[in-house]
Amino acid sequence: MPNPEKILVVEDETTILRVLETILTANGYQVLSACNGTQALSMASSHCPDLILLDLGLPNIDGTEVIKHLREWSGVPILVVSARDQEEEKVRAFDLGADDYITKPFGTSELLARIRAARRHANQLAAERALVSPSYEFQDFRIDFERRVVTVGGREIHLTQNEYKIVERLARQPGRVLTYATLLHDIWGPYKGEDNQILRVNMANIRRKLEKNPAEPHYILTENGVGYRMADGD
Amino acid sequence: MSLKILAKLWAFFYYTSCLVGNVIIKWGIEKGVFSMINLTAKITHWVSVNCLKTAAILCAATAANAILLQCFQMTSSATELYTLGVLLVSLNTAGYLWGIIAAVASVLCVNYFFTYPPFHLNFTIEGYPVTFLIMLTVAITTSALGGRVKKQRELARERTRLTEERQRILIETEKEKMRGNLLRAISHDLRTPLTGILGASGALLDNDELIDPASRQELLTGIHEDAEWLLRMVENILSITRISGGALSLKKVCEPLDEVFSQVAAKSRKRFPQIELSIQIPDEVALVPMDEMLIVQVLINLIDNAILHGGGNAVALSAETENDIVRIIVRDYGQGIPPEDLPTLFDEFGSRDKESSDATRGLGIGLSICRTIVEGHGGHIFARNLPDGGASISFTLPTKEAASYAES
Repeated sequence: MPNPEKILVVEDETTILRVLETILTANGYQVLSACNGTQALSMASSHCPDLILLDLGLPNIDGTEVIKHLREWSGVPILVVSARDQEEEKVRAFDLGADDYITKPFGTSELLARIRAARRHANQLAAERALVSPSYEFQDFRIDFERRVVTVGGREIHLTQNEYKIVERLARQPGRVLTYATLLHDIWGPYKGEDNQILRVNMANIRRKLEKNPAEPHYILTENGVGYRMADGD
Repeated sequence: MSLKILAKLWAFFYYTSCLVGNVIIKWGIEKGVFSMINLTAKITHWVSVNCLKTAAILCAATAANAILLQCFQMTSSATELYTLGVLLVSLNTAGYLWGIIAAVASVLCVNYFFTYPPFHLNFTIEGYPVTFLIMLTVAITTSALGGRVKKQRELARERTRLTEERQRILIETEKEKMRGNLLRAISHDLRTPLTGILGASGALLDNDELIDPASRQELLTGIHEDAEWLLRMVENILSITRISGGALSLKKVCEPLDEVFSQVAAKSRKRFPQIELSIQIPDEVALVPMDEMLIVQVLINLIDNAILHGGGNAVALSAETENDIVRIIVRDYGQGIPPEDLPTLFDEFGSRDKESSDATRGLGIGLSICRTIVEGHGGHIFARNLPDGGASISFTLPTKEAASYAES
C-alpha cells in the first residue's frame, strides 16, 4: 500500500500493545504506539495520525483527560478501548468527544470493523456538513426528514412527537453512538436531569413499532450503559 | 416547716455522700490502688454518681414520709418506705456497699425523724435495739437480694450478648465455608483450561516447524476456546465478589426488560453462532429494578447450561409479568435434568464435583451464582422438567409498572 493510514495505539499493557500492532500491521495500517497519556498527546500532535485507539485505563494522565486535550485542537477519530467495569468512564469519554468504543476482550474482526466505521464517519462528516441529507435509509427502513414520515417495508409507522424526535436525532448521524445524556438534552431540553428511564421506555415503545423482534433490534442498536446508535450500511 | 426539714435533709445527705466518697478515694490513694490520674477520675465519678443516686433515693423516701407525717400524721409506713428506698438503691448502684450504707442511713433516719422525740437520735426507747436490728437485717437482706437480682439481670444481658456473638460467628463460618467451596470450585475450573492453553501454546512454541498447518489450526482453536472459557469464569468471579458482601452491593436500577434480553441475545449468539434462540417479551414495556450486569450474567449462565446440557441448540427465553413480579423463563428441548439432581441443582458447588471433574465443564459454579444473584434481588429461582421434554429454569424478580412513562 503506497500511503497507509496511520493509527496511534495508546495502551500501557505491552502484551496487548504487541497484539494490536501485529493485527493492524497485518491489515495494512501503519502503527504508532504510545504507552501513556503524555506520550500519546505529543505523538498525536507530531505525527497527525488518522485514528487513535485509546485505552481508558492509563498511568499518569487518565484516558478521558487525553480525549479532552486532544479535542481542544483535533477532530481525529478516537476509538476508546475499555474494560467491563469502566462503564462510567466510557460515558464520560463519549461526552468528551470519543467516536466509538470497543470493550475488552474483543475479536480481531470486530476491532477492524470498528476502525473502518470510524474512518468512514470521519470522511462522511465533511460531506454531511455541505449537504444535509433529506432522508435516511437502511434496508427496508426509511425516514423522510422533510415529511417526517417513517416507513418500514413501505408501511408507514405512527410515532409520537418525542418518539419521532429520538429516531430523527439518531438517524441524522447513523452509526454514531449518541449517549443518553445527549439524547435527553436534545429531545427533552436541558432540565430533564440524569434520569434516563423516560428515554429508555420511549425506545422500548419505538422498537415495538419498528422492529420485527423488539428484543433483538435491527435498526436502532443499544450500546449498553452508554446510549443508542442507528444502524448504517456496513 | 417541711421545706426546712427537706433542706436540712438534703444538706445532711449531700455532705455524708461527699464525705463517704472522699474517704473512699483517700483510702484508695493511700493503698496506692489509684495511682493513675484517669483511674482516680473514673473512681471519683463512680463514687459520686452512686453517692448521688443513694442520696437522691433516700431523700425521696424521707420527703415522702415527711409529707405523710405533715398531711396525715402518719409514721407507721416510714419503715416500709425506707425499705423500698434501700431496694431501689441496691438495684440502681454498683455492688452491695451502697445498699448497706442506705440501710444504715435509713435506720438512723427513721430514728432521727420519725420516732418520738423527733430530731433526736434516741436509742433508749424500750425494745428499740431489737427494732433497730430487725430493720438493719431487713435492709441488708433486701440490699443483698437486690444485688442478686441485678446480677441476674446483668447475667441475662451477658447471655443474650453471647448468643448474638455465637450467631454471628456461625454465620461468619458459614460464609467462610461457602467462600472456601467456591474457591475450590473456581481453582479447579480454572486449572483445566489453563492446562490446555499452556500445553497447546508450549507445543506451538517448541515444535513450530514440526506441526502441520491443520494441527496448528487445531491447537490455536483450542487455545482460543479455553481462553474464552476462562473469560466467562472470570466474569462469574467478578459477580461473586460483587455479591459476597450480601445484597448490599447490588446496584439496582430500573431496566427495560427488552434491552436486557437483547444484550443476552447478542452475547449468546456471539458465543454459540449455531444457537436457535427464540425470545418473547411482554407487550407492555416492563421496567424491572435490577443490577443489570448480574442479571445478564444469570441469563448467560442459564443459556450456557441449556446449550451445553440440553442436547440441542434450541433455547427459548421468555418473560411474563404477574402482579408485582416478572417471571423470566429459560427452557431447552433436550433430555431434561436428571431427577436426582433437581433438589440440589442450585446448592453447593461441592455436590457437583463428581460431575465437573470429568470433562463436563459448564455447570461449575454457574447455577449457585444464579441463585445467589436472584435471591439478592428478592426473587426466587426454580428448575423443573417439562412434560413435553426439556428443562425449564425460571426466576422471579419484583417489578414496577412502566405505565407512568408510557405516552399515548
